[in-house]
Amino acid sequence: MRLSHISKWSVFVLSLLFLTSCWSMKEIEDLGLVLGVAIDLEEEGLEENLITLTNQLAKSNSSEAGKEGGASSFKNVSETGHSLMGLTLDSLLKNKEIPLAHHIKVIVIGEDLARTTNLQQILDYFLREHEIRPSCLILIAKNRASQILETSDPSVVPSLKLAQMTTNTHKRNSKVLPPVSLLKLSREIQSESSFLLQNVISTNGEVTLEGASVFEGKTKKLKGFLTKEEVMGINWIKGNVKGGYVEIFVEKQSNPIVFEVLSMKTHIQPHVNGNNISFEVDIESEGRIGEDRGISMKPFSDDTLARAEKAIEKEVKRLVESVSEKTQEELQADVFGYRDSLRIHYPKVWKKVKKDWDQTFSEVPIEYNVKITIKDFGTIGK
Amino acid sequence: MIVEQHSKFFTGELSKDLKAIKQEIGYNFDVRFHEFNIGSTDTRAVIIFVEGLSDKELIEKHILKSLIPPISANPKHRKKDLLSVDYIKNYIHSLIEVKEVKTMEELVPEVLIGSAALLVDRASTVLMLDTVKGKTRDLREPPSEEAIRGPRIGFTENLNDNSALLRQSGKNEKLSLVKHEVGVRSRKNLVVAYITDIVDPELVKEVNKRIKKIDIDNVMESGFVEQLIEDNYLSPFPQVQNTERPDRVMAALMEGRVAILLAGTPFALIVPVTFSMMLQAPEDYYDRWIAGSLIRLLRFFAAFISLFGPSLYIAFISFHPGLIPTELAITVLGTRAGVPFPSIIEALIMEISIEILREAGLRLPKPIGQTIGIVGALIVGEAAVRAGIVSPMMVIVVAITAISSFALPQYSIGISLRILRFGAMIFASMLGLFGVVLFFLLLCSHFVQLKSFGVPYASPFVPYRFSDWKDLLVRMPIKTMKRRPRMLHTKDSIRKK
Repeated sequence: MRLSHISKWSVFVLSLLFLTSCWSMKEIEDLGLVLGVAIDLEEEGLEENLITLTNQLAKSNSSEAGKEGGASSFKNVSETGHSLMGLTLDSLLKNKEIPLAHHIKVIVIGEDLARTTNLQQILDYFLREHEIRPSCLILIAKNRASQILETSDPSVVPSLKLAQMTTNTHKRNSKVLPPVSLLKLSREIQSESSFLLQNVISTNGEVTLEGASVFEGKTKKLKGFLTKEEVMGINWIKGNVKGGYVEIFVEKQSNPIVFEVLSMKTHIQPHVNGNNISFEVDIESEGRIGEDRGISMKPFSDDTLARAEKAIEKEVKRLVESVSEKTQEELQADVFGYRDSLRIHYPKVWKKVKKDWDQTFSEVPIEYNVKITIKDFGTIGK
Repeated sequence: MIVEQHSKFFTGELSKDLKAIKQEIGYNFDVRFHEFNIGSTDTRAVIIFVEGLSDKELIEKHILKSLIPPISANPKHRKKDLLSVDYIKNYIHSLIEVKEVKTMEELVPEVLIGSAALLVDRASTVLMLDTVKGKTRDLREPPSEEAIRGPRIGFTENLNDNSALLRQSGKNEKLSLVKHEVGVRSRKNLVVAYITDIVDPELVKEVNKRIKKIDIDNVMESGFVEQLIEDNYLSPFPQVQNTERPDRVMAALMEGRVAILLAGTPFALIVPVTFSMMLQAPEDYYDRWIAGSLIRLLRFFAAFISLFGPSLYIAFISFHPGLIPTELAITVLGTRAGVPFPSIIEALIMEISIEILREAGLRLPKPIGQTIGIVGALIVGEAAVRAGIVSPMMVIVVAITAISSFALPQYSIGISLRILRFGAMIFASMLGLFGVVLFFLLLCSHFVQLKSFGVPYASPFVPYRFSDWKDLLVRMPIKTMKRRPRMLHTKDSIRKK
């Protein structure tokens, strides 16, 4: 009985060996962990539409390098050709590392490429490839994307820094858009609505989050840029400010009062009157005085509070209206989500205007009501 | 077999009997034959004892001295007929225990364990005097199971001491200690202990049956008994618990288990045993329940690590680098660079060398053992990494695994898990995480079908008995543990009202 037992088991175990042996064994030191990807448009001689793929690989001696502060802890591998897949495999011709895409944190797309090519085409490879996590972040580089992956400080891996910056800052500063992952972006792309992506610039090897890119829903191409202040306005309209501040100047002083946002609520109400569509946006926010550099004001009087609130309201309104104007007139793209509120409240009307919404949107009147409440003065007080 | 075909009775003729005895015992240097006259009479007598085993002082000062002068002093006793065996027996009776024997078979084994035989001329009855000098050592805290809190006492090699320790743990008329004899060439006493009104009678019957079946030359240690009575000798899991602690044995008895004590070893056996018992320490119960529970959970975790630590590392490093957090992956990548071996070889090198170190440290005399530990730590930890043979990450993994396996309160389960760890590592190196899972499933399938004396080894996990879970992963407050474990089918299930 025992013998039959053993033989049964050994057949079982041996068959396992033949079925699936160590085929997928890849020792970690033989792999090149791809941490970031940059894609640029290239024009070489007569050929057009060539793309350059830059993979940022973690170097195998990265921990040593980091300690000594000498050699860099990553290396960028570039390859130029027609398809991303081809470029990835071609990079094997020059490099010993097998690229492993599980750890890609950011995909940076160059401005030129984004302007000329449909974003869906660009990202097709990343959406198909099973190794790439849909959680990696998408950023647009002003100028060349491969520059973003360079750095003057060799101990920092730019991709990791970028990913961390994008996810962390938006919680504290409203000048940055919430991070957009591959997953989220693929949803936007499918819905045909216009959308925004965070911009990055590189100056002297220093990476900065700077403004945003507007993509047109239909063509999925880069249409224009928004500045940091305009991004702030967008965040106020969308109501996704998790932190942030507004500087106001009361009584023509050169020193500002700073309003720190604690909470905010935005409500978009569409109105339809015949063929006329209009929107009313209520923005409500509570906050505290974070800093008061003005000196002539009485710090704790109700009058001061009221005046400050007024001034903040005015400032927010200005931010909001300026970005609204720009997107409506100049860019003609609804990046705010007005479409959704119209679709929800007036489905029939939506069906009619859906086809040319960005066009329609550019002529729609929008009214902004801002209500600011100052809750406290911080730790100074009566 | 030593059993004689026909018994040899003593003839009563001193010289003849003596010769026969000498022949039977053999000419051993340590057997003393002391001839003397009883009192001032001319009745010859011989006292036979083994030097070292018998209490020589007792024999000289009390038996011989009292046997000779007082009789001669009293004229009444000069009469020959008074010097019968009966008379002497009654006379010495007050001093030591006396037994009458009539055959050679009864006499020889008794003498050889330390009794003194008193042969009187013209008497066919020999008196056996209990002069056994107990060879014993102090009761100390057992080194294999130390406890911060709890009795600092452990069993010794003396069976009588051990059973006395059980008796002394509290007045309990239901504690029954039944004696068996095991071994053919060297017979040893074995005591089966249980509490009559708690234990399942079937269990006692089963234990007795298995002990009676033991038919071996010599039962060297309770490990022999353990291996001869366990259910599945092919299993990597120990199916009998061994302990040096009387409090542990007593606790097991009170739960309705059976303990087996063997002469000549401080290790008592407890049956039936379940896997969870292997991860319990007496302190779990002596400490407050929150502390006890947390430490016990920690032990389950340690058991898991000691089983799967290196194999998980191998699986992640060689098969699924995508599952490691990015920063860690980069670090590992850096430390692995330049290591010439694949991770499985690296892990085997480290695991085997640490096992060798452990074994060496254990076998060597204590002062050298510690040195070995330091040298080993230096070589394995520092030099091997410097030399680029292993990666520092692997040293960490191996160290954590080794420490985890030492955190288990039972040495035997620690060994089992250490052996199984190598299996897990090989599976991991072939199939990655899938292999680890597969190995775990294989282990589980064996684990759930294993039984110890009729009790499923995995209980109360499987079969699922939630009421017994109060004392499984966590140790619930004693107030709530009102019943004995149900899996033991005890006669009296109420522990506390």
